[in-house]
Amino acid sequence: MENKQIIGLFVHNHPGVLLRVTSLISRRGFNIDSLTVSPAAVDGYSRMTIRLSGDDDQVEQFINQMMKIVDVKNVEALPDDGSVASELILVKVLADGKNNNDILAVTSKYHASLVNLGEHSMTFRASGAPFEIDTLVEELRAFGIMEMARTGIAALENGDRCLNNVE
Amino acid sequence: MKLNGSEIIAECLLEQGVDTVFGYPGGAVLNIYDALYKYSDRITHILSSHEQGAAHAADGYARTTGKCGVVIATSGPGATNLVTGIATAYMDSIPMVAITGNVTNDLLARDSFQEVDICGISMPITKHNFIVKDVKDLANVIRKAFKIAMSGRKGPVLIDIPKDVTGAVCEYEKTVPAVIENPLMSDKNDFLYACELISTAKCPMIYMGGGVVSADASKELIALAEKLDCPVASSVMGLGGFPQSHRLYMGTIGMHGGYETGKATDNCDLILTVGARFSDRVAGDREKFGKDARIIQLDIDKAEINKNVKIDCCLLGDLKDTLRELTNTVEKTERPQWIAQLSEWGKQGKVTETPKSDDYAHPYHVIEAVRALTKDSDIIVTDVGQHQMWVSQRYRFEEPRTWCTSGGLGTMGYGMGAAIGSAVAHPEKRVVLFTGDGSFHMNLNELATVCSYDLNVKIIVLNNTVLGMVRQWQKLFYGRRFSQTDPHRKTDFVKVAQAFGIKGLRIHNDDDAESVLAQAFGDDKPVLIDCRISPDENVLPMIPPGKTVDDLITEME
Repeated sequence: MENKQIIGLFVHNHPGVLLRVTSLISRRGFNIDSLTVSPAAVDGYSRMTIRLSGDDDQVEQFINQMMKIVDVKNVEALPDDGSVASELILVKVLADGKNNNDILAVTSKYHASLVNLGEHSMTFRASGAPFEIDTLVEELRAFGIMEMARTGIAALENGDRCLNNVE
Repeated sequence: MKLNGSEIIAECLLEQGVDTVFGYPGGAVLNIYDALYKYSDRITHILSSHEQGAAHAADGYARTTGKCGVVIATSGPGATNLVTGIATAYMDSIPMVAITGNVTNDLLARDSFQEVDICGISMPITKHNFIVKDVKDLANVIRKAFKIAMSGRKGPVLIDIPKDVTGAVCEYEKTVPAVIENPLMSDKNDFLYACELISTAKCPMIYMGGGVVSADASKELIALAEKLDCPVASSVMGLGGFPQSHRLYMGTIGMHGGYETGKATDNCDLILTVGARFSDRVAGDREKFGKDARIIQLDIDKAEINKNVKIDCCLLGDLKDTLRELTNTVEKTERPQWIAQLSEWGKQGKVTETPKSDDYAHPYHVIEAVRALTKDSDIIVTDVGQHQMWVSQRYRFEEPRTWCTSGGLGTMGYGMGAAIGSAVAHPEKRVVLFTGDGSFHMNLNELATVCSYDLNVKIIVLNNTVLGMVRQWQKLFYGRRFSQTDPHRKTDFVKVAQAFGIKGLRIHNDDDAESVLAQAFGDDKPVLIDCRISPDENVLPMIPPGKTVDDLITEME
């Protein structure tokens, strides 16, 4: 069954690691929605978070293929119900002055903060679970979204377990 | 001690036990070749005609010795010429370290003369690659490269070294490489489940591949097959890994395998897959492959599990260990009925052979005549195409590491280089290269190498003047529209051989085959035999792509 699976990778912070990972994704025909990279808690390593679309077999194959990259030290599928996932959005909404309060009524539900007010626009910053950001975007479409930037997902497993696998 | 980068390369090769390298010099590797000059008493360098030939030679050297092949090339075109050779090794899991020079650090990324991003280019065809920008990292990178190439599922690794790094000096300290161990990765439950599946199977078969050869696990596989009284089918890559004269050996499996192995696959209740990967040339129809069978897979690469065919149980780890442990655990069994059924199928589905002709020799006849002249330990190399499949069907392989063929990538032009590498590795053995006129035209420049080093290579060109395999597909699937497959080139291969300085002979038909071959095999000198075969000869039987043995083609025209 096709589903969305969040996968965490713990990788060496070497030049070219991102290319190795993305080139493998493309070469093996995997379908991803988002990919983020950031420094990991351990010096010299990075953390990647990838949201993959695919059935269970594809997820298994994805993990097994990723583990073959020498610079990839650990890969795990993060459990849907046992992880926290979050992303940040900056969104510029068309605002004509008359509907500003309507817009604010929507954004306040999502704890989005107004970070810039333009002549004809309002820019908000919000963060939350990916599905919350999706619904915020849907609601704001009614007013007209001029542009937006989403960071992609960062995710950690609940509890004490860590992906870190230091040599 | 203080050494420059090039001397460190040579020392690190010696650390790894490397005494032979293949390559071609150039501007960016001048320092390295200067070190090779200095170390020439300990490291033999074989100069090819073209870097591709050197890469295939390193591959042939690795396949026939089990050691890691080493190839050296200069930057830019030298590096890109290695690409086909590296990709060939990658597809067949052959350990290789490719060392390329590059422009100096300060010229990198400026589109300098003979600069190319070979790390970017070779990323999808290597297990890993490195660019070494600081001489202080060089020794450890080389050590890591060999470790990666030789551990787990083996394969090629590339090291790109800017020219200034090969000249820079730093402290070097000799290191003894650690023994590579591949621990068993499966848990006890998987192992017990595999034993249960094996013990309840009534009509099992073993499907073996190149992993058996790579893991040097032939003896262990024979022991298990005998204890289970279990028939064995081999992929093309697995040839030599199980003796073909053994009563349990059925033949090759897949597109040009036999009726027997196809029927076995369809009718067995258990497939024990050993070091094989269900490629499309074996499992044409992934859904129907072993449709009534449970499948156990023994492999060292976890990513091969459930990649092409869904399996029931996997045992990950070194095949030698897994096979030994299985043999110790399973009960001795006999299955006379199943074996009898298989040999019954073995008699069916026979191919109608073309009638004898005055104008042509028959490829099977030539292959069998060669077999009569060779020892079990002699090495057989092929190029790619019809001749490759004929050899895989008819040559009787008895020992591992006697077979070099480009199974995965299907590289026409592979044979000459691989034959050179095999001959360099085994001066005591005879190397026979079967090639076709199409493949041979691609890299016949390496005749110069064969002649220079006076290598004991017997080159048999099965010359049908057409690109036979593609032409066969055009016959079957493209309404006999022979687009660009009928070149009928006038090349006189006997004269070509003579021009390069080696003996050339010709086989006209089946009647003179034995006498010409006897002359060719009478000494330890290189020789080329131009063997005229019919352009209409086909490789049969054939399971069409995506199909099963039910659609087996045994006759054409």
